[in-house]
Amino acid sequence: MSAYVEVTDLRRVFDVSKPWLNRVIEREPRRFLTAVDRVGFEIVKGETFAIVGESGSGKSTVARMVVGLLPPSAGEVRIANVSMTDPRQAAARRRLRARIQMIFQDPYASMNPRWRVGRIIAEPIRAFDLIKGEAAIRARVGELLGLVGLHADDARKYPHAFSGGQRQRIAIARALASQAEFLVGDEPTSALDVSVQAQILNLMRDLQDRLGLTYLFISHNLAVVRHMATRVGVMYLGRLVEVAPSRDLFARPRHPYTRMLLDAVPDLAHVGRARTPVSGEIPNPIDPPPGCTFNPRCPLANDRCRTEVPALLDGVACHAVQEGRD
Amino acid sequence: MTEPVLSVRDLTVAFATRRGLLTAIDRVSFDIGRGEILGVVGESGAGKSVTGSAVIGLIDPPGRVAGGEIRLGGERIDTLSPAEMRRVRGKRIGMIFQDPLTSLDPLFRVGDQIVETLRTHTGLSARAARARAIDLLAEVGIPAPERRIDGYPHEFSGGMRQRVVIALALAAEPELIIADEPTTALDVSVQAQIITLLKRLCRDHGTAVMLVTHDMGVIAEAADRVAVMYAGRLAEIGPVASVVRDPHHPYAVGLMGAIPTLSQDADRLSQIPGAMPRLTAIPPGCAFNPRCPKVFARCRVDRPEPLPVGPSRVACHLYDKAARAA
Repeated sequence: MSAYVEVTDLRRVFDVSKPWLNRVIEREPRRFLTAVDRVGFEIVKGETFAIVGESGSGKSTVARMVVGLLPPSAGEVRIANVSMTDPRQAAARRRLRARIQMIFQDPYASMNPRWRVGRIIAEPIRAFDLIKGEAAIRARVGELLGLVGLHADDARKYPHAFSGGQRQRIAIARALASQAEFLVGDEPTSALDVSVQAQILNLMRDLQDRLGLTYLFISHNLAVVRHMATRVGVMYLGRLVEVAPSRDLFARPRHPYTRMLLDAVPDLAHVGRARTPVSGEIPNPIDPPPGCTFNPRCPLANDRCRTEVPALLDGVACHAVQEGRD
Repeated sequence: MTEPVLSVRDLTVAFATRRGLLTAIDRVSFDIGRGEILGVVGESGAGKSVTGSAVIGLIDPPGRVAGGEIRLGGERIDTLSPAEMRRVRGKRIGMIFQDPLTSLDPLFRVGDQIVETLRTHTGLSARAARARAIDLLAEVGIPAPERRIDGYPHEFSGGMRQRVVIALALAAEPELIIADEPTTALDVSVQAQIITLLKRLCRDHGTAVMLVTHDMGVIAEAADRVAVMYAGRLAEIGPVASVVRDPHHPYAVGLMGAIPTLSQDADRLSQIPGAMPRLTAIPPGCAFNPRCPKVFARCRVDRPEPLPVGPSRVACHLYDKAARAA
């Protein structure tokens, strides 16, 4: 089966230098932050690929580059065999755009409060000129609202009349309005209460089954990822450290960081568990440690880990695992 | 049984608004014993934070404690004057809030902030207070405390800042600590460190802790007992193992089922239909009745009181033996 989304050697560098005058006076060099470093993965049609990581791991930056909200510094994103960066494929890319949509974390910030819900959902239909005629557009909006569990009459209301979970349903309806087949969700349920989160996660899975959608799901919540994902990529400080089918990753984590993360998550099954928490915090991404970025916190680190960046081989980027020292 | 550190009886908090009196907390009762961690959970708007604010006497007008009583070590504190309450806060009740940046003054060195608290509440000399501050920072796991004591809050990472806040809360050796979402702003690996620290300190000092959070995983690991709140009322309170593994109240059952966990494969999460009612529109009878799968006639008219069920107390007519016998 060929991949629907192919991401190769994706890299994004942000210039975080002080203003020119400060640099001259304080004799400081330019500073760069490598938010995403040589990240590559594939997503098969109809599956859910999840990226987990803590804050600053670069997972949202990857999502933004995949949908085209942020140009990569290097590397390539191909969706349905169309390069998202090659200028020669601009026309094909324009046709593809409607098929790729994003669902954001904050359902309060991702909608224009002065627009009625009907207009919000119809915007992609009008922008891509998919349906002619107001009556037909209105019918389609009603149909979309029904699809996400709202009522066609809700199109007349403004976003403020809805709760967070209902707004996230509207955001999903808007994403589906242009007949999207690939949805990128950047923490789509993190702002919601658990009972509402369950509603939205169930809705996303139902829609995937009915419409054959492909998801890229970004989250810091491992339990949510386990529930949603077919395959999971774990990011740490801008690099993908492990990629594995969801079942394998949670049953047999291989990278020391994945193991640490799974051990650290407070979980309902761990009532009164005594634990030995991992020490240390994520280093500053402007000045990451040389070699494997996880080496200062890793129990298996040796001299090679402190100098040489491990490559992602067979789903895991770790010298210790590759040498059989784990 | 010895006297509980904190005893809350029929606490009612009301906010006077233009639309009338909103009851944010409606006759809530609970105790916390020495060295015990009581987890208070609920979704946003359930009243968990307001309960914490009421205990420390920080309900802002137009809100006010409209009924019930709060006793700290047997002594009523809800009737104290603001000046008297100021002497209780910080000395007898410590506080830890979600965002460590807002609870520290960015313009003062962290050591000065701890010394100020110590000198205000314990009357130590400046030199003794500084020595004690260094001990406190060491106790909460800050490396090189004799050097870090002169750092400013911005020089600390999120996890380290929260440790400083915990040191500050512990400074005057309070009987009770109110921790409102203390780990929500932190990454999971750091979150685990803070939970472990809080548990250890609470055990070592015999401090009672009221841990307010929406994260059931944190509660499952940290708390001894759990109170589940819904629409300003207590739905269920009991030992953590019982509430998490074998909840009784239909809301608690739905809540636990809605949380994805790392250890079980559920194809669908159980979801509670609808959302929590707004405070302006709490239904008569049991507040949960419009969403409850087991609702019957009495639930719509008669408000259930918390009654003992096994080791817990549950506010649900299903468990009212007297009613069933009749």
